[in-house]
Amino acid sequence: MFQYEKKLQYPVNIKNPNPKYAQIIISQYGGPDGELGASLRYLSQRFSMPYPELKGLLTDIGTEELGHLEMIGAIVYQLTRNLSIEQIKKSGFDTYFVDHTTGVYPLAASGTPFTATYLQSKGDVITDLHENLAAEQKARTTYDNILRLVDDPDVREPIKFLREREIVHYQRFGEGLRLATDRMNEKNFYAFNPSFDTHCNKKGNMNRNQNK
Amino acid sequence: MTEREKLLKQLSALQFASWELHLYMDTHPYDKDAMEMNRRYARRSEDLKALFESKYGPLSSVSGTGEQWLKNPWPWDIKECV
Repeated sequence: MFQYEKKLQYPVNIKNPNPKYAQIIISQYGGPDGELGASLRYLSQRFSMPYPELKGLLTDIGTEELGHLEMIGAIVYQLTRNLSIEQIKKSGFDTYFVDHTTGVYPLAASGTPFTATYLQSKGDVITDLHENLAAEQKARTTYDNILRLVDDPDVREPIKFLREREIVHYQRFGEGLRLATDRMNEKNFYAFNPSFDTHCNKKGNMNRNQNK
Repeated sequence: MTEREKLLKQLSALQFASWELHLYMDTHPYDKDAMEMNRRYARRSEDLKALFESKYGPLSSVSGTGEQWLKNPWPWDIKECV
């Protein structure tokens, strides 16, 4: 289960609203490499993870991503407060405003709404961990691009924190992949998929010892 | 920075240190030094969380409810608006 803690993982206190920045940064809320996709990816994949370290890792990183989703929501919310209609028209935020006013809605900077096609849960430990390594790097690149587009230090500080987390998660997933392959057939990692080929209480299990 | 913000920042720093070690332990479950360090940070953050809650109200549903829980600011609120 999940329990809420009434605080952000890292503080967000933005003094100057900026709807243009909001429209860019919302991509990390509901865009192709955003925090919603990240949390759903890990929290879904974990059910078919074969080893305790990986169940723990996916649960913990998936949970942290929910905290990041909340931080991005707070950034977007604070960047879009007290806007005048003039500011909205001039910044290009009008195309978002017409559908959502200043409500926070999961979509990409381009306007494409969030879709589950941004993530995969393949039920194969090697495939899923590689998906996650790639996802962390894609998110890191997106944060790098946001830092190229945004000058305000109030916005940059929490974005820099989130960028750094992508790198740490990438490191942990790499270690997780190594822990997994250490337990698999070193002559052919693809001989068995320990997420599928190990059946509990099933006769004729060729892979019975793989899970130990 | 207000007194509340300062305390919240300290708490976040301690919680972060503890969390980072917790993640590390997922892939290094037998690292005794990391486990000890995690324990220390976890204990210090629990203590500071209790102090924060005694001054500014509950951070989780188990430490307060009703009016105290509902009280502003919520994590995304901006100072001047609450």
